[in-house]
Amino acid sequence: MLSFILRRLGIMALTMFALTVVVFFLVNLEPNLKKLAITQTESRATAEQLESWLERNGYRQNFFVRYGQWLGVVPKQPNIDAATGQAIPRFRFCDEPSEPAYSGLLQGEFGCSTKFRVPVAERLFPALGATGILMFWVMAVMVPISLLIGVLAGMREGSRTDRTLSMASITTTATPEYVSGVIFTVIFASWLGWLNGSAATATNQGITFSNFTLPVMTMAIYGIGYIARMTRASMVEVMTQQYIRTARLKGLSFSSVVIKHALRNALIAPFTVIMLQFPWLLTGVVIVETMFRYQGFGYALVEGAANNDIDLLLGCSLVSVFVVLFTQLISDIGYAYLNPRIRVQ
Amino acid sequence: MTFFKNNGNKVPDHVHAAAKQVKSGGLDRREFLALASVFGASSAMAYGMIGLPTPARAQDAQPKKGGVLKVNMSIRTPKDPRLADWTEIANSQRQSLEALVLYTPEYTFEPYLLESWEVNDTATEYVMKLRPDAVWTNGDPLVADHLMFNLTRWCDKSVEGNSMVARMGTLVDQATGKIREGGATVVDDHTVKITLTEPDISFIPNLADYPCLVVHPTFDKDGSDFTRNKIGTGPFELESFAVGERVVYKRREDGKWWGGEVMLDGVEFIDYGTDPSAAVNAFEAGEVHANYETTPDYLDIMDGLGLQRNEAVTSITIVARTNVTNKPYDDQRVRNALQLGVDNGVVMQLGVDNAGVVAENHHVAPIHPEYVELPKVARDVEKAKALLAEAGAADFEHELISSDEDWHKNTGDAIAAQLRDAGIKVKRTVLPGSTFWNDWTKYPYSLTNWTMRPLGVQVLALAYRTGEAWNETGWSNKEFDEKLAKALSIIDPEQRKTVMGDVEKILQDSGIIILPYWRKVYNHYQPVVHNYIQHPMQQLNLGKVWLDEA
Repeated sequence: MLSFILRRLGIMALTMFALTVVVFFLVNLEPNLKKLAITQTESRATAEQLESWLERNGYRQNFFVRYGQWLGVVPKQPNIDAATGQAIPRFRFCDEPSEPAYSGLLQGEFGCSTKFRVPVAERLFPALGATGILMFWVMAVMVPISLLIGVLAGMREGSRTDRTLSMASITTTATPEYVSGVIFTVIFASWLGWLNGSAATATNQGITFSNFTLPVMTMAIYGIGYIARMTRASMVEVMTQQYIRTARLKGLSFSSVVIKHALRNALIAPFTVIMLQFPWLLTGVVIVETMFRYQGFGYALVEGAANNDIDLLLGCSLVSVFVVLFTQLISDIGYAYLNPRIRVQ
Repeated sequence: MTFFKNNGNKVPDHVHAAAKQVKSGGLDRREFLALASVFGASSAMAYGMIGLPTPARAQDAQPKKGGVLKVNMSIRTPKDPRLADWTEIANSQRQSLEALVLYTPEYTFEPYLLESWEVNDTATEYVMKLRPDAVWTNGDPLVADHLMFNLTRWCDKSVEGNSMVARMGTLVDQATGKIREGGATVVDDHTVKITLTEPDISFIPNLADYPCLVVHPTFDKDGSDFTRNKIGTGPFELESFAVGERVVYKRREDGKWWGGEVMLDGVEFIDYGTDPSAAVNAFEAGEVHANYETTPDYLDIMDGLGLQRNEAVTSITIVARTNVTNKPYDDQRVRNALQLGVDNGVVMQLGVDNAGVVAENHHVAPIHPEYVELPKVARDVEKAKALLAEAGAADFEHELISSDEDWHKNTGDAIAAQLRDAGIKVKRTVLPGSTFWNDWTKYPYSLTNWTMRPLGVQVLALAYRTGEAWNETGWSNKEFDEKLAKALSIIDPEQRKTVMGDVEKILQDSGIIILPYWRKVYNHYQPVVHNYIQHPMQQLNLGKVWLDEA
């Protein structure tokens, strides 16, 4: 078990390395560097000014040197002002050592966010926290409801309940968030006026029923249909098993058969699906957070990409890799618990 | 040499002559007011000279103390003010950092951090006097050395993106890229004298522009970052700044604002994103008192919420310009054909829901003091086709590029649709705002928005003179350059106007731009808010605002 976890962590580190190299390459393409220079100087600055800014702030150094600096294996040189000979930080909103030093990821430094003008850690972790809250509520709503719907639909295949619930699930799953989000906003915010169509106040004034329901609802409803369909399929299969027939024949009540014998076996497939929802939620929040202006991970990612905020984007990719691989690790361990026949190795 | 003091009761003779022309109908009222105030007349005097009472801003009830004003505005990255490229950036800072001169909603110029200025009658020497009662939040009084520090910063060409360099004109030494030796001298503790090498009538108007905010001498030591160096002269002090979220100000603690007692406990700017429906929700939920801007398509909805509406005519506009270094736009016939294929009135209707004034394809607006009305370019499809055929470009497919901002996109779509109707092939390309500006001066055919400037000559000098950094059309016309240089030095309004008529005509005839309309801008506020106005340059100075919430 321990070697299994260690191996997985090794893979995680390797994936992080590979992904950050790719991201680092992409954010350093010429048009992206130009975009960064524009956002940091003035939108109508001349080409010479942009070039001089990039040169002065070290963006013209060798690609590998800069990646090494970000990683913390190459010392970061202080930015010396040619006129005064004094060290001035590249980004004046983040402190930088005035002597050459290793200050990169391995030293725990995520760098500077050029868009938000704060150290990346100061922006990224609160954003992750905000997304965590959103994810928690989405899961808290989505998982019980979808399992209930799936089990109810799957225990009697082809019944009227099954047909109705299946149709509802297929409809919600077939509607992407950017469609359902708009529909819900029109109905609940503009027309009925019950809920707030913007979650802008949720991150700094606290979450209320009014400003948080729409984003949670939009994300949860999309997932509910999907998980419910998976649960139903699994339930249907379990209900045709020999041992269910045996249980029925020995005179157990239907509810007892479902709860005691079918449920645990039927939950293995949905468990995978639910664990797979975590990475999906991380990408799903990009749309929902932007739409409702909830200041979480997705919003930071979109803003970072729009402004070519190099350090923030690299930080986001690390977090993504971590969330995806870590949830998969947990689900692999979880299998072994749900089904003792499965061994992790 | 005679100097004329602002806010005084003495003005040059030509201003008196101009006042007579207004009365006889020979001169526009706005033109006169801007001119008179640059040459020293107070608002009261300027209005008085043409026989009008000074417009009183609603001074209704007794101001009440207390409350925090919440304004919906996008919170952009807080750059060094001289690099600011959005009015919102300056607005998020100007509650603490202040301007020297204020452009008023009555289209005049008033001293703000300056107590007064004097100008000689050839507009080459300016004497600027600072308010003796202005105090920084750290306790330092504002003195002439601080003004020198700021002038030096504004003239520093080596700072990438320093847009104040262009506004400082001949105060910048082009050889060294710094402030010209002897260009600005300290006269006494509160007075600085500026000597220009060429007449510049736009020097004072430029000081009213949004990037021109005065910072404390320690500003650059703290990294030229307002969120770190919060020392200002304004009515409020910065408490927190979160990009994309909110900016929080509290009333300055020492109570020493030169403008008198500040009624508000504080100000908060909150960012609700670009979706206007979120702004509606914010008003409905009572989360904000006012907004920075209401887009024209949401005017009725906002009115329907029981909010008060402000509006102002501006010279904010967008131009569909061709770059003459690209074929086939080097041919004037092609450019004129594009102008003739479009009805500017229809473009205004589709582009900004009719919220504006139809323009004449040249870059001087009716609110500019030196505006000369030219005949509008009427749509003439037959002539457009004939011109294109003559130039051998009848089958050329034009690619019209714009950013994805709503009114830019809609205006571009309207122009493209009209051209297609006229049988001209047009492909539309819409780029995200974040990449559009990478190459904005180089596109063969694209739309560029231009913000408000108080004088007509200002944008002309920035955007259409030969070799200027912001000359996006690649156009170069010797006659235009000469006449514009002349206009920039002529003081007498009637004489300047004759030159301006030619300048406008040359620009219109060249066909390099379709300039369809001048925008009106709007904002909304809850009835409990008092003294919240729509500034024509969308600047928010909130020191005098108060809330009737108790």
